Amino acid sequence: MTRRARGGACLIACAVLVPLVACSSPASGDGRVQLDFFQFKSEAVATFDAIIADFEAEHPDIDVVQNNVPDAETAFRTRLVREDVPDVVTLNVNGVFGEFADAGVLYDWADDPLLEEISPAVVRIVQDLGQSSPGAVNALPFANNSSGFVYNADLLAAQGVEVPTTWAELLTAMDTFEQAGTTPVYATLKDGWTALPAFNQLVANTVPADFWERLDAGETTFAEEWRPAADQLAELFAFAQLDRFSRDYNAGNQEFAAGGVPFYLQGSFAIPAIVSFEPAFELGFGNLPTTDDAATQLLVSGVDVGVTMGAQPRHPEQSRLFVEYLMQPDVMRQYSQDQSAITPLVDATTGDPTLEPVLPFFDDDRVTGYVDHRIPASIPLAAMLQQYLIDGDADAFLTQLDEEWDQVAARRS
Amino acid sequence: MATAAAPTPAHVAPPPEPPDAPRPLRPPSRVPRAFWWMVLPAVAIFFVFHTLPVLQGIFFSFTDYAGYGTWQFVGLRNYLNLFGNDRIAHSYLFTFQFAIVATVLTNALALTIAMGLNARIRLQTTLRGLYFIPNVLAVLVVGYVFNYLFSNSLPVLGQALGVEWLSTSILANEDLAWLGIVVLAVWQACAFNIILYLAGLQTIPGELYEAASLDGASTWRRFRSITFPLISAFFTINMVLSLKNFLQVFDHVIALTNGGPGTATESISLVIYRGGFQGGEYAYQTANAVVYLVVIIVLSLAQLRFLQSREVES
Repeated sequence: MTRRARGGACLIACAVLVPLVACSSPASGDGRVQLDFFQFKSEAVATFDAIIADFEAEHPDIDVVQNNVPDAETAFRTRLVREDVPDVVTLNVNGVFGEFADAGVLYDWADDPLLEEISPAVVRIVQDLGQSSPGAVNALPFANNSSGFVYNADLLAAQGVEVPTTWAELLTAMDTFEQAGTTPVYATLKDGWTALPAFNQLVANTVPADFWERLDAGETTFAEEWRPAADQLAELFAFAQLDRFSRDYNAGNQEFAAGGVPFYLQGSFAIPAIVSFEPAFELGFGNLPTTDDAATQLLVSGVDVGVTMGAQPRHPEQSRLFVEYLMQPDVMRQYSQDQSAITPLVDATTGDPTLEPVLPFFDDDRVTGYVDHRIPASIPLAAMLQQYLIDGDADAFLTQLDEEWDQVAARRS
Repeated sequence: MATAAAPTPAHVAPPPEPPDAPRPLRPPSRVPRAFWWMVLPAVAIFFVFHTLPVLQGIFFSFTDYAGYGTWQFVGLRNYLNLFGNDRIAHSYLFTFQFAIVATVLTNALALTIAMGLNARIRLQTTLRGLYFIPNVLAVLVVGYVFNYLFSNSLPVLGQALGVEWLSTSILANEDLAWLGIVVLAVWQACAFNIILYLAGLQTIPGELYEAASLDGASTWRRFRSITFPLISAFFTINMVLSLKNFLQVFDHVIALTNGGPGTATESISLVIYRGGFQGGEYAYQTANAVVYLVVIIVLSLAQLRFLQSREVES
């Protein structure tokens, strides 16, 4: 209870203090409008500082203040509680974003010309998560990441293994390494979420796209349709090293960079971390194959950074100018180059040559969102997956998922 | 503690004044104003920062508030949904088991160490200081050190000794992970309990032991008949505080297992934090928190009653 109360006390303290602070700094005395730019990615602060400097040079009457805090989602939530929505916001477009969107606190960009240059598949990902009203688009996709697998190209070449593009080829590649006495996959299941990139890819490719509508209508269950994906996941992780449950994400990045392991089942976001350990081999990245039809494989990609404003912006004109500036293809490309991201534009590009193999998926419109973003954050999906990979009981895992889903639905109805 | 229950002079009604005695001239305010200035701001701050949020929380537990946006009343629905939620039931079970084991171990260990530190040993002061250090360190920081020990060092030892269950990280084993949390919690909590027991042990007059040794009482007999009865009030308060603190376990779990593997070591406060602040179920978990509060109060009072009734009236 004290923790609860302490949280409440903090909120009240904020509520008391923040208006005071706000009063003491009026919208700058020199007539410039001050924009509060809530930016959630701590690793991108310098990149955005450069973008802001360029923007302010073009618009001398606008002063953009970048505001970067740790645990941005919780911080954003507390600002919503005080009904103090920042002028321009970047958010990770995930399940939590979906809840914000559904609550109607974010601006609607549908029909906005800024969306014209964005890949329609990516816009669909944003809409699937949450909408303030039917058809609304509550965030502009600014940068994408991609699920997939990272591989050690030198090891693959040494074993004469081609980069797998189908499930059968993937299993053959794993077998080849196992028989050669090499552990094929490095897994870091101490952090339960590290099973999610592969699982997202499996579910996205083996479960029909209309699953969620049918689930909401009560026509199907997880147990009925997710079994193949769960089985494939266990099959994949069985190839991992013995201490897979006591190694975490950071240890995994380091271990993979040290060489010796051909496959690492992680999204594009792990690449900068791996590169920071200076691997002495050629790094490869590809879409994790999950079916035997390479031509219809979907790529799981998420909007890593979405740009948006509050539903009722305080400085609509100036905020919009800044958003327009951010959404220029050149600025987005610059960002993706700095941050190893993929631009969600119709002609997708990336600043990181390692990511180039997944770009065609954007061009072909074969992109879908992270499945786990559709599961409410109050269901501990990562922990349940971790449990499942430990005990291998797929029935228990899927039944529990169904029960949790129904209970959350009952609580929210 | 035992004497506190007896009526103190302040509670005794003053004798009736003789009718014709001159009324004593009382100063207009008996209590110097300074005391009011000490108490009143504290009351106000306590009310604003503690009582008010609690009341607010109780209020929101009857709504479907997500922490932001609109909300409406849902009556007792949140409370009814708490029952039949496996995850919450499991977190209560885990927390109780953990708290009971940790409370017993902490007090047994702390009392033993305190008695050792109270005896005439060399380096007494240095050792007392050393044993207090865990209380000063932040649980989270120490937790990550223990995490490393459990994940990396212990398995190496286990493999060298050929002990199978120790050969892999116990934190990755759903049946053993709670042991790691108990070890960290007991190690950390002992420090403070040792201090309280030491304070208690120093209230016992040395003559009692002298008399006992003249009578030829054994060490165990001396402990059972002198030491333990005389520090029973300290024992009570240590047991109650330990149980209450262990029921609120949070940092230990975050640092060691993060609730895992799976959801095997999710404590109640972890579930409340996860669902309420990260899962957008603010109102639902607030209802859980209210139930949790009531459970802790009831348990603490029951424990206090039970232990106090067994204290020796000295």
